[in-house]
Amino acid sequence: MIRAEALVKRYGNKVAVDAIDFTVQPGQVTGFLGPNGAGKSTTMRMIVGLDRPTAGRVEVNGRLYREHQAPLREVGVLLDAKAANGGRSAYKHLLSIAATHGIGVSRVREVIGLAGLDSVAGRRVGGFSLGMGQRLGIATALLGDPATIILDEPVNGLDPEGVRWVRTLMRKLAAEGRTVLLSSHLMSEMAQTADRLIVIGRGRILADDTIGNVISSATRSVTRVRTPESERLVAAITGPDIIATMLADGAIEIIGLTAEQVAIAAAASGLVLYEVASVSGSLEDAYIALTAGEVEYRSSDTANTGAHE
Amino acid sequence: MNVLENRRTTGIPAHDRLRFAGVLRSEFIKLTSLRSTVGLLLAIIACGLAISVVLGVTAEGAGLPDEPSVAFMLDQVTVGTVLFGQLIAGVLGVLVISGEYSSGTIQSTLIAVPARVTILAAKAIVLFVTATAAALVAMFGSWAVTYPMFAAFGIEIGVTAPGVLSALVGGSVYVGLAGVLGLGIGTVLRSVAASVATVISIILLLPIVLSVLPASPLVRNLHLLSMSKAGDAMSGPPDAGGVFLDLADGYVSSGAGWMVAATWAGIFVVMGAIQLRRKDA
Repeated sequence: MIRAEALVKRYGNKVAVDAIDFTVQPGQVTGFLGPNGAGKSTTMRMIVGLDRPTAGRVEVNGRLYREHQAPLREVGVLLDAKAANGGRSAYKHLLSIAATHGIGVSRVREVIGLAGLDSVAGRRVGGFSLGMGQRLGIATALLGDPATIILDEPVNGLDPEGVRWVRTLMRKLAAEGRTVLLSSHLMSEMAQTADRLIVIGRGRILADDTIGNVISSATRSVTRVRTPESERLVAAITGPDIIATMLADGAIEIIGLTAEQVAIAAAASGLVLYEVASVSGSLEDAYIALTAGEVEYRSSDTANTGAHE
Repeated sequence: MNVLENRRTTGIPAHDRLRFAGVLRSEFIKLTSLRSTVGLLLAIIACGLAISVVLGVTAEGAGLPDEPSVAFMLDQVTVGTVLFGQLIAGVLGVLVISGEYSSGTIQSTLIAVPARVTILAAKAIVLFVTATAAALVAMFGSWAVTYPMFAAFGIEIGVTAPGVLSALVGGSVYVGLAGVLGLGIGTVLRSVAASVATVISIILLLPIVLSVLPASPLVRNLHLLSMSKAGDAMSGPPDAGGVFLDLADGYVSSGAGWMVAATWAGIFVVMGAIQLRRKDA
């Protein structure tokens, strides 16, 4: 469990994190979303004490991170894939971290196997690809068998097999009752992995809810209908707050009525429907709607791309 | 929390926790698992031995004393290790911490060991012990390889002769302290290039600059209390007549040298510790 109370981080007069409160619960995967520069990494760094909060506090499993007797057993962190010296072998890197907590060689070998690094463990980290670096970072995070796992962009640079591995691993760790906090700019990946979302923009929390609620509150769901007699249907359903739009493929998109309401109206008018479906917004739509106006770095030609780290 | 523990699939023993002995082991693994740092430790030994051999071989041409002289022998045997060792150890000290900042390892280090003073203390101890050990090998090795050379001229000095042991050990400790000085500077500045330049300035340049400046009492005293002067005192011949430190006379005993060198190293490590605690990683 991670709990932040009125957490503030200021660099000079620039506010990176602006008095945020949130709780990350065990037993589920919590996604941490936000545009570049929104304060995600700063918040993660404050959780493990790399950066000192300007005000407020953030606790992990009931205490400040640095007050734990065995920090690595409490929290496993991946912040930077290349947080290892390029001249050192992956095995020695993990061994040096394990030594601080008296964690044995067998556990080091175990996480190397878990991360699929057996064949390259003796090689120097400098020669690793980004994906291998991520695997090493995840192995490092798992070293202490921690109750809380924090991963910043873990799937960055991973191959499809690796992406699926991370997703399965996160789900499994959460199912074991651990706290999992995960940041990513890949919305489809987040939609498949996370149970809850915390969306942050310019240092403030924009949304903190289940993934379903975040999507439904930030996007409008529409009802999509196909019928041979489009004009009669539109006439049958007219009303205030109801907007019907004819699409290029001959379907109609209706805002303001559920699929059931459209079907009942059609039946009352004796109309045949080929298709009626409720189409909800995607996480990407929700994210872009939430963070519009909070984006710190926007590319000049395509506004609101959001995912380009 | 108990339920949580039981549900974990992969187990590590519950008694594993952060201990200072573990942090020391971690730092030792880090120091010995990089070519650069191992190379520098070996370079202390190689330079020390090589200079001594060259001096030993050329000693006849450079002028030999008529009878066995502890001062002469120590000059020949310690100069390579002290002169080169202080710079190599200083650079090694810089790399131990600045190398972590440039490679990003510092993040992994501070996540595993959030107590910053603890990590700096562990680094200082491991560095001091390994650099001093390398210098001891160089010093006693130098004495051993030059012994037969001097014996050929009948001016050999045994290691048990008065003042020899303390000078060889003192010079080695000085090299270890130069390493700790580098560690402190590296912690304050974080950049490898800036730190190495500063180490060289303090150890090599400062005495030269001070010796060129007009010899006001302040400049003279500063010169006597410089890091490298302390190195000379620590690796020099036995003290004459119980004087500890006589600035007016320009005399620094080996005991005073120990104190001066430890103070230099200590000041920078304390500055580093303050920086490390106050600043974000």
